[in-house]
Amino acid sequence: MSKLDWHSAEARKRLARRHAAERHFKWLGLGAIVLSLSFLALLLFIMLRNGVGGLDWDFLSGSDSTDPSAAGVWGAAKGSILTMLVTLLLSFPMGVLAAIYLEEFAPRSRWIEWVEVSINNLAAVPSIIFGLLGLAVFINTFHMPRSSPLVGGLTLALMTMPVIVISARNAIKAVPPSIRDAALAVGASKVQTVFHHVLPLSLPGILTGTIIGMARALGETAPLLMIGMRAFVVTPPDSLNAPATVLPMQIFLWSDEIDKAFVQNTSAAIIVLLGFLLAMNGIAIYLRNKFEVRW
Amino acid sequence: MTLTIVLIAVFVLALGGWFVARAKAKALYTGRGSLHSMPGYHGWHALLWVLVPALAAWFLWSAIQPGLVETAVLADPAAASLPAEPMQRGAILAEAQGLAEDPSATAFNPQAQTLAAPMRAAQNRFSLIGALLVAIVALAGLGWGLTRVKAGFRARTQVERAVLGLLLAASLLAILTTFGIVASLVFEAGMFFRDVSPIAFLTGTHWSPASAGGANISDNFGAVPLFWGTIYIGAIIAMAVAIPLGLMSAIYLTQYASATARKWIKPLLEILAGIPTVVYGYFAALTVAPMIRDFADSLGMANPSTESALAAGLVMGVMIIPFVSSMADDSLAAVPRAMSDGSLALGATRSETIRKVLLPAALPGIVAGVMLAVSRAIGETMIVVMAAGAAARLSANPFDSMTTVTYQIVQMLTGDQEFNSPKTLSAFALGLVLFVVTLLLNIVALRVVKRFREAYE
Repeated sequence: MSKLDWHSAEARKRLARRHAAERHFKWLGLGAIVLSLSFLALLLFIMLRNGVGGLDWDFLSGSDSTDPSAAGVWGAAKGSILTMLVTLLLSFPMGVLAAIYLEEFAPRSRWIEWVEVSINNLAAVPSIIFGLLGLAVFINTFHMPRSSPLVGGLTLALMTMPVIVISARNAIKAVPPSIRDAALAVGASKVQTVFHHVLPLSLPGILTGTIIGMARALGETAPLLMIGMRAFVVTPPDSLNAPATVLPMQIFLWSDEIDKAFVQNTSAAIIVLLGFLLAMNGIAIYLRNKFEVRW
Repeated sequence: MTLTIVLIAVFVLALGGWFVARAKAKALYTGRGSLHSMPGYHGWHALLWVLVPALAAWFLWSAIQPGLVETAVLADPAAASLPAEPMQRGAILAEAQGLAEDPSATAFNPQAQTLAAPMRAAQNRFSLIGALLVAIVALAGLGWGLTRVKAGFRARTQVERAVLGLLLAASLLAILTTFGIVASLVFEAGMFFRDVSPIAFLTGTHWSPASAGGANISDNFGAVPLFWGTIYIGAIIAMAVAIPLGLMSAIYLTQYASATARKWIKPLLEILAGIPTVVYGYFAALTVAPMIRDFADSLGMANPSTESALAAGLVMGVMIIPFVSSMADDSLAAVPRAMSDGSLALGATRSETIRKVLLPAALPGIVAGVMLAVSRAIGETMIVVMAAGAAARLSANPFDSMTTVTYQIVQMLTGDQEFNSPKTLSAFALGLVLFVVTLLLNIVALRVVKRFREAYE
């Protein structure tokens, strides 16, 4: 092999080319991030520009109407709150209990493997499939009232539960075994160990995961479309069985209106929905930073 | 109403049982080791004995009461004039039930009006019987629970056994959900395939359920254009956006960005994944689609449509970016440090190391991530509903309006068709196809990821 002369013009050119390629690659990476984030900025900007003028007290406290200037978002927001209540009450306890069982008590058997596989797959099943399930089971088989917060909440609970199970399992797994050993060593039973020590220690992580799962459920539209939560609701729902609509569905319904004045309403409703989601995620981040223990 | 009150009474009774049993056990305490279980466990034991049997009785009664009420009402002389045809009879009975609950309502059918009074009487009678039954069961449970409070009684063991049962039941709910999905999809799709041949459904190229009917019904349910639209939008256009952007962001964040920049940029990117899909759909329809139409216009296309595969695919791709990025991030992080260090030590630049060493090593993980992203994109509904259009056509032109599986599911099930028409049932057949495809993608991807992780551990 001939000795390479690092100072020859050829070698320098080669080095310069390689360094240029390095720079280009780096710029490409930065460009990808800037492009993605500018898309986000554009989306938020357009929604704010179109919607901010429509945000006033009448809009926040009114219900749906055929007249765009009289239409408001409270009816849908109340429907969302009722639906989320059902979802939370069902998916949180069930998800946490299932996670505890799988992480702390489950024997290594074929059955349990099936449970784990089905939880992991349920977390990835398209949301519209849960809507089909809700339609076939809750409405057509059990004859529950169509387009009610009860059925919507049940459907979303089935969708949210796997998310909660997975995050709760990770939170429980993060509690070091020494805590369990210590409790067992002073005579606590296995159940006491879990409910008195492991669960409280993993609760911040579980709550963070739950809030994120609930935020996802709050923004979900497709499964609720399947169970008919697209009612034109003039009075806010006053029970779990009353016909209702939810915030994302209101956005969808308004976006379909021909009247141009609904563009402002739709964007304003989007701002309200994003505000809710931002608040929920903010709480989740706060919880994580404040209570998370690094072992 | 009576049944709701008795339900509340059961909970109050259970709470009372908890206090009484605990107090009783406390009174038995005479010193260290005199009780097997702490008084609280005796309380829980009594509470369970009130709650579980009473709730079981309550649910049982709620399930059988409507049947009993109906038999009683039908035995009433006023019911003799009811039509024998079950559909009409059911409608009148349902109306009478509504009148019985809300007397101020006006009757649509005079027969329902006459039946309302016997209906109300029967309901009151059976509710009272049910309430008494539940109350007896609850009291018996309470009595039994309280007699068991003894110093040597292993209340904790019993309670913990019940807790374990509850935990097991909760985890079985996941299997039940999966089973429910499979059963309902297969059942409804089976009804659909009685009318339409599965082969015509999976290989036919003509989709127009609106004109379906008669003998050659199968000809109008060819789903290939829907499959093509789904793949074109979700797996081709969206991935053409998401893979380069997601992968390059992941590379920049893991290899070049400082820790502070990473800490700020990553959550910002994650926001893209947290925005509801209906918002993306609206953005696609309001802003992106008109832009693309104008662009197609400037290319000289004859009247391009407002709804285009490109608009839906582009926006969907942006939505998937953070997902691809975090999967790529994980795969790059899983490659052992020694491999990139070795390459750098030999004098390769960072970009050469990334392209020639890191990416090939992380490829299986990245491919699996892309598969998961595809499975998410093809199941995405709102964006295509709002931006992709309804025309089922086999076209490779991204400016054309195209439809997808999810769009057609929504289309078939919204609106007021009767439930058992082939048109509505086709939604379940499409749902079954979607479920099977996403399931396969997920299973294969998770297996690849697992094997990939093991290879480097």
